Amino acid sequence: MALLKTSETEIASQAASAPGCAVSVRNLTKAFGTRKAVDRVSFDLPQGAFLSVFGPNGAGKTTLLRTLAKLTRPTEGSVFIDGIDALDEPDIAREHMGLISHNAMLYPDLTAEENLLFYARLYGVRDPEKRVIELLDAVGLKHRRLDLVRTFSRGMTQRVAIARALINDPSVVLLDEPYSGLDPHAMDVFDQLIESVRADRTFIMVSHDLEKGLSLCSHVLVMAKGRVVAFAPREELDAEEFRALYRSTVGMGVA
Amino acid sequence: MAKEKKLSAEPARSATCERPSTFAQFKTLLVKDLKQEFRTKDMVVSMGIYAVLVIVVYGVALSFAKPGAEFLEVSGGLLWALVVFTSLLGLNRSFSHESENGCMEGLLLAPLDRGAVFLAKMFSNLVFLLLVEVIAVPLFWLFFSSYATPADTAWLMVVPLLVGSIGIAGIGTLLSTITTRTRGKDVLLALLFVPVVFPLLYACVSATTAVLVGGDVVAETLRISLVLAAGYDVIMILASWILYEFVVSA
Amino acid sequence: MGKGKGKALKLPEVGQWPDKIFPIVAVVGIVLTTLGFLMAFFYVPPVAGAAVDGVELIGGMMVTNKLLISQKIFFFHMPVAIVSFVALGFACYYAVRFLMTREWRYDTCSCVAVEIALVFVIATMVTGEMWTRFEWGVWWTWEPRLTTYLVLMLIVIAYFVLRAAVDEPERRGVFSAVVAIIATIDVPICFAITRLIPSSIHPVVLREGGMSPEMGMCVGIIAVGMFCIGFALYRARFNQVRLTERVESLKESLED
Repeated sequence: MALLKTSETEIASQAASAPGCAVSVRNLTKAFGTRKAVDRVSFDLPQGAFLSVFGPNGAGKTTLLRTLAKLTRPTEGSVFIDGIDALDEPDIAREHMGLISHNAMLYPDLTAEENLLFYARLYGVRDPEKRVIELLDAVGLKHRRLDLVRTFSRGMTQRVAIARALINDPSVVLLDEPYSGLDPHAMDVFDQLIESVRADRTFIMVSHDLEKGLSLCSHVLVMAKGRVVAFAPREELDAEEFRALYRSTVGMGVA
Repeated sequence: MAKEKKLSAEPARSATCERPSTFAQFKTLLVKDLKQEFRTKDMVVSMGIYAVLVIVVYGVALSFAKPGAEFLEVSGGLLWALVVFTSLLGLNRSFSHESENGCMEGLLLAPLDRGAVFLAKMFSNLVFLLLVEVIAVPLFWLFFSSYATPADTAWLMVVPLLVGSIGIAGIGTLLSTITTRTRGKDVLLALLFVPVVFPLLYACVSATTAVLVGGDVVAETLRISLVLAAGYDVIMILASWILYEFVVSA
Repeated sequence: MGKGKGKALKLPEVGQWPDKIFPIVAVVGIVLTTLGFLMAFFYVPPVAGAAVDGVELIGGMMVTNKLLISQKIFFFHMPVAIVSFVALGFACYYAVRFLMTREWRYDTCSCVAVEIALVFVIATMVTGEMWTRFEWGVWWTWEPRLTTYLVLMLIVIAYFVLRAAVDEPERRGVFSAVVAIIATIDVPICFAITRLIPSSIHPVVLREGGMSPEMGMCVGIIAVGMFCIGFALYRARFNQVRLTERVESLKESLED
């Protein structure tokens, strides 16, 4: 098998983050009671990488992402964002991060512009008005900026959500099932938008859509039962072989 | 999609954001809540209607009592029952906007002092509660003015109403943050809220009754009751403020 | 309930020193409460001034010596009330420790302590009820102590309803810890407020009076006995819950 098995002990022995890595995860563990949703996950991502996380339901993908986003605190382990220890300095790490999930995180009774301005002020964006107009322009919704988010279609809401996640100009963008509820056209628009904002940002995406995940990514991580089954750069793996593995992993729930 | 080019030509990362002060964040959060409420009038209208309906029910309940001066001794309690039930309704809804689209997560993603979230929510809840009281309390007296005339000191009722509302908004914000993320949230909020605010309620009813009845004991009772109610406010708001961080990130 | 405090760094676990002594403590508790029970009836004389010749009118009620047996309730009421509050105090202590360390063991400890508090709160309410009925002739009165215990009982019940209403374990732990802390803060305030504010509506029905030495001794013995029983109950229940947890985690690891 062409996949590189990560040796947990090997990576864990390096105490701090590997130099030049946008995201370094060390031995990350999140336990709910006796159940370990994320079990000793370690990986390093270079800047500008796009990581797709695959795995069956309940593999701990979303928990991993929520822990990275500092929405839940890990039981053990550490996360470095741009070399900053995210557990020691959560607020600095938060400034470097954006999250796009299936929840738009927008207030339906505020306009698109008001929503973005609100988040811009929370992050303390300099010249928020200008930044908001720029972002709305970028996602192609400048003409609708004075409309309530309530009146938007699912696809449009998700575009505003992209703008919201980028409001603080994050270096790491997390995507949690961003395609759910989008029609194929909206999915394509979403992909184009993500492609256009990649710049030198690092992306981590959790998705059930194997083809979408493979087409965008530069790295692949497969999880099962909270553990890393495989982690490899995209070019090092054979797509067919990977699909077979994916099917067996997701199908049987065991790696 | 031709316009996206602009994004890649952004200034360097550190130049985009400058951490705002906690007070600035508090203001942003509060303005957002007020703007939203101003637009939908969701909470104030539903609380206002509910308050009027409670007064109507009181009207039925008292219609065969023909109370005279004794009414003053009961009215303080009735008024506070009105406030408690109305605020319960409001508190239940205060987080509906946040949970609707996962907005609470959006807030938690920001580098934001969790205490500021608590204070902003508490203030907006307080503003809505006071707005409703400004309408409901005079209405209460309008409907029941034929029963008895309150003492001259009745206007002092404003003080216990304010002190009580602050406490209700404070502990209510903490408890409703807990209960919005549980099953059976409405009942659970009532179940937690009523016993926890019991002492505050007791003190406020005592103060309100004292100013309504008037007489020699007013000053003494009012002073003790208000000091105790204010003490409750300080302790409970402090505790809620400290505990809020745990609750909100759970 | 007295364990863990000295060695706060060591996690409470089944088989530590309290488990070696708790069966003995339970027996001691039962012996002491039984002794206290016997003392209350056969040794301690009725409170001075409460002995009545024949029939007299007290508080609008016909009272005879026979009825005054009801004051024996007090010997159980007070110790049980104290133990329930101490149990709540421990629940609060463990809740704070849980919030600080996120160690599941403390959540278990806190929850078990609240369960013990509930048992004793209910015992307090029942004895208090009997007291009001026989001593004051009414089923319920909004007397400060009774009121406080009613509020406490409601919060403790709400605590368990809350625990049942949250599925995610971490959230359940945090929420219930916060409620345990709020309850522990709220209850003394409640007592202070209901006590300090002069009530114009209800006459003060409390018959104040110091305890005689015999009475104090008897209450003390029962209090120590109740503490022992509370501790033994706590430990037994903790062992049960903890062992269930361990079985669960063993099952989990077997599945892997």
